[in-house]
Amino acid sequence: MALRLTALVLFAALALPAAAQESIVVYWTKGFYPQEDKALDEMVAKYEKKTGVKVELSRYSPQESVPKAVAALDAGTPPDVAYGDVFDFQVAGKWAAEGRLEDLSDILTPMKASFLPVTLETAYLLNEKTGKRGYYAFPMKRQTMHIQYWKDMLSEAGFKDGDIPKAWNAYWDFWCSKAQAGYRKKTSKRIYSVGAPMGVDSSDAFYSILTFMDAYNVKVVDDNGKLLVDRPEVKKGLVATVKDYAHTVDAGCTPPSAVNWKDPDNNVAFHNKQIMMTHNATISIASKWLDDSNNDKLTPEQRAEAKKNYSELIATSAFPLKPDGKPMQYRSAVKVGVVFANAKNKKRAKEFVQFAMQDENLIPYVEGALGRWYPVTKAGASRPFWTEDPHRKIVHEQFSAGTVPFEFTKNYKFTILNNENVWAKAVNRVVVDKWTPEKAVDEMIARIKQVAG
Amino acid sequence: MAFSAAISPRWSSFQTWGAILIAPYVLVFLVFVIYPVSYGLWLARNPDSYRTLFEDPVFLPTVMNTLVFLLVAVNVKFALALFLSGFFVHERRWIRWLSVIFIIPWAVPAIPTIFSIRFMLNPEWGLVNSLIFRLFQVDGPNWLTNPPLAMMMAMIVHIWKALPFWTLILVAGRLAIPREHYEAASVDGATSWQKFKFVTWPSIRTLYLTSTLLSLIWTLGDFNSVYLLTGGQPADKTHVLATLGIRYIRLDQLDHAMATIVVALPFVLPLVWFMMRRLSGDEQKTS
Repeated sequence: MALRLTALVLFAALALPAAAQESIVVYWTKGFYPQEDKALDEMVAKYEKKTGVKVELSRYSPQESVPKAVAALDAGTPPDVAYGDVFDFQVAGKWAAEGRLEDLSDILTPMKASFLPVTLETAYLLNEKTGKRGYYAFPMKRQTMHIQYWKDMLSEAGFKDGDIPKAWNAYWDFWCSKAQAGYRKKTSKRIYSVGAPMGVDSSDAFYSILTFMDAYNVKVVDDNGKLLVDRPEVKKGLVATVKDYAHTVDAGCTPPSAVNWKDPDNNVAFHNKQIMMTHNATISIASKWLDDSNNDKLTPEQRAEAKKNYSELIATSAFPLKPDGKPMQYRSAVKVGVVFANAKNKKRAKEFVQFAMQDENLIPYVEGALGRWYPVTKAGASRPFWTEDPHRKIVHEQFSAGTVPFEFTKNYKFTILNNENVWAKAVNRVVVDKWTPEKAVDEMIARIKQVAG
Repeated sequence: MAFSAAISPRWSSFQTWGAILIAPYVLVFLVFVIYPVSYGLWLARNPDSYRTLFEDPVFLPTVMNTLVFLLVAVNVKFALALFLSGFFVHERRWIRWLSVIFIIPWAVPAIPTIFSIRFMLNPEWGLVNSLIFRLFQVDGPNWLTNPPLAMMMAMIVHIWKALPFWTLILVAGRLAIPREHYEAASVDGATSWQKFKFVTWPSIRTLYLTSTLLSLIWTLGDFNSVYLLTGGQPADKTHVLATLGIRYIRLDQLDHAMATIVVALPFVLPLVWFMMRRLSGDEQKTS
């Protein structure tokens, strides 16, 4: 009897507080650097302390974040809050259209003044079930395209930074014909100059190709989401884009395997000095070395080498002037999270999002990425963090010049086209199947009309 | 007795215990077979999924790839297995040692080995092309960026990985043939080809065909050889049905993924039906 009584008391003591504690389930993309994860952990701990709500945090890789959320949604047990680095590219617009997301206008509208332009607007999505737009996602951070190159490889090729032309065609010709040839001649190494991602299974590829499209002033959709691909000038621009982007493979300046590259592959090729330069949708390539330079697990020599790579040997730069001679206006991707409409604890989920969006919580999280992500808020972007470092200064200047949003913010079906990567497919048609750019663009336009028309 | 009577007054004790003992199997079958299959079919119920699936420019080339993969890889694999099984039945010490080495590709885990092959075949800095360049001063082929070549390499990887297993099966089949048959054939002056034609093949034909059918079913679901080597690239041109489903799941198109599996059923079900008929026929013969 005494034993039973003791067991009952123990059970009550252990089970009741657990049953009483409120909790929310949060899915979040795993950080690229430990500082990012640490900042998130601290944010979660602060929230738990402030509210007494337990946060059940699960971290997934960027590639896993969509399948995990889809599986949870499908099983009828979605997380209360989900953030994924590729949600904006792949699913947010679609989920909003399908009525699967909770409208966050009540928490985001009061904060509107604190956001930079072309940030919160991209989360103003259409719910096709209600026919109304609302803030169905919360913006956390941004990314855009940069160029990174090895200064020492350029130097070995017999050139210096100032020799790099500013005009579009001269710029690519320089890397292709002069820098690569000079480096190969000097070292006899079979390296390539331009790391142009072309893999269909790569968001870097479509981001890069769409940036080339911006350079040719091509707009495939208007502000109301209507397709413009039937316009002759749009087709002409698309043909020029595909032709230009594919050219570096034909010219022998981009590795043929670039058609199979996934997102990390241009980073890997760059770190191994198999390519002299690459365009990348964040400065993660340089930041990797900054992270290594502070990594206790590495030897002092490795840390010193990493520091040298970051501060002396790798350069971050903007794109050259557009073919029409005007400066580039970069497209920025606003990384968003969501609260699902059928989440169990929406009240607390919104409270968590609101808490996460406060400057004191958001800024350490964004800066934990070492410049890989750029802030969405004015307070975040105005910090010296963005001007004191040579790599981040370039990022800051690119964003400060003003950005444009992706097509999927106007017509969510472009997320499907990005997922399928019709852009890289057209480039692959030219590179792999030896189609003419005109024929490849015709196929691309037909698919765009079929999916998003 | 009272227990069985409590369950059903008409059931004997034998029947009751039979039901109790079979219950876990039925439960496992319901949970892990019936439920997932039914759920998959339910997810694939929307006719629009099939319309958009057939409209997807990736789908039909994938079906063609799957057919080519099945016909070429399985038949080449079995032709080689049949040939090699004739070699490995020889009772020599060095052949036994060689057979141990031969079995390694089947025994080692798929992910690291296929990734290693992928790195070796990288057109720029892979081992194979670096060697070609060093020896002949020319660039080697674009093994994984040329779609037909990439598909061929996926088939070679599949054959390399599965060949030891099927060779072992056929070796076992050959070893079951009574030695007297060969001795009698030798006495009659039969050549090696005649011994194969009139003794070996009739004895292992059933095993060969059954194994081929089983391999067809397994190969249809072979995800690793293609996905780990090519990832369906370049330009989604080396997908097979097994990898296409994963592509759709990654793209948040679960209904398409399930529709892909349903579309594969006309391939799978006749094979399963035909194989089960063969097996049950064999069982009747042996009983």
